[in-house]
Amino acid sequence: MLKKNRKATAEPPAPPKPVPVDQKTIIGDQISIEGTIRGKEDLLIEGSVKGSIEVKAHRLTVGVKGQVEAEILAANVTVSGRLAGNVNATGKVEITKEADFSGEIKARSISVEDGAYLKAVIEMDREPLNRVSPSGKPVEKTFSEPIKESLILADKGSKGN
Amino acid sequence: MTAFTADRKNTDLKHDPGAVGYSSNALELFMEHLQQRPERKLLDVGPVCQENIRFFASRVKKLYVCDMFIRLDRCIRKGIPVDQIWEKLDYPPQSFDGILLWELADRLDDADVKRLVTLCHSLLRPGGMVMAVVLGDQPGSSGANAFVVGQNFRVYLRPQPHLHLPLRSRQNRDVLSMMAPFIPAKSFICRPGFMEFLFRRE
Repeated sequence: MLKKNRKATAEPPAPPKPVPVDQKTIIGDQISIEGTIRGKEDLLIEGSVKGSIEVKAHRLTVGVKGQVEAEILAANVTVSGRLAGNVNATGKVEITKEADFSGEIKARSISVEDGAYLKAVIEMDREPLNRVSPSGKPVEKTFSEPIKESLILADKGSKGN
Repeated sequence: MTAFTADRKNTDLKHDPGAVGYSSNALELFMEHLQQRPERKLLDVGPVCQENIRFFASRVKKLYVCDMFIRLDRCIRKGIPVDQIWEKLDYPPQSFDGILLWELADRLDDADVKRLVTLCHSLLRPGGMVMAVVLGDQPGSSGANAFVVGQNFRVYLRPQPHLHLPLRSRQNRDVLSMMAPFIPAKSFICRPGFMEFLFRRE
């Protein structure tokens, strides 16, 4: 008969530790998933996913080996593999030079490396062109201005005029 | 716009446009024309670059990009018939108000140029406009470039070393001939042998 207060010889299983903020789930290159993925942490896909992916407040990365055919809702999206589908990002979409993307992109900002293959419909989040500031003066929005960032030129030693 | 004239005004013949850029009068006119269109749907066939996506996406209602340069490069590398790339331009007829061809025609043989022009004519809405660049007889590199749009319609040529595409030099009259289904609207000489063209669909 067991005593109530007897100390167990084996340690009880440890309770699950809290998930660190920067933790992410990885879908490896040997994994294939069909269906809906919803999550509350970053997701890296190196395998194959078909369906829909919702990681609203987090980052989705389609790795170089990743093959995704899905509707995507995420905060930020990085594409280095193959992605066919529509991307709706509240933040930034980054497409690297290894990427092969076809679909629609709605995002606040987009970065694309030279060499990436894109067949896309792109809509950037727009705010009114001339917002009235508290002082009453219209404020020019960045997206309405020509590009101000430095461009990589053929000859970096030369200055534009 | 009916007169088809070469206009040297406001261009930089002294400088290498690749290094310091050049003021693209054609692009400015093209965008002015596009702004007057109610739908403002633009197709850019590449080479796609981040700066241009930002530039155009902030000025049109919908920006479509379909990088034909990379598809062409892949076909050539794999020895696949080049005409397979045209299935990528599978948009419904009369989808766009403007099409940016850049120097794509210079990378194609005559048969594929004809196919491209026919497709563009089909994809463009009546009154829509096509912008094309012809490099002509360029000394030095025949490598493909992205036409990176900067401030005030200044365009910089950025080499695309990942693209290995043949350059087929064409003269002014060749361009007019190949774009026959369109109405020539305007052309600009950016430097000897390097021209920008605007064509309009009736």
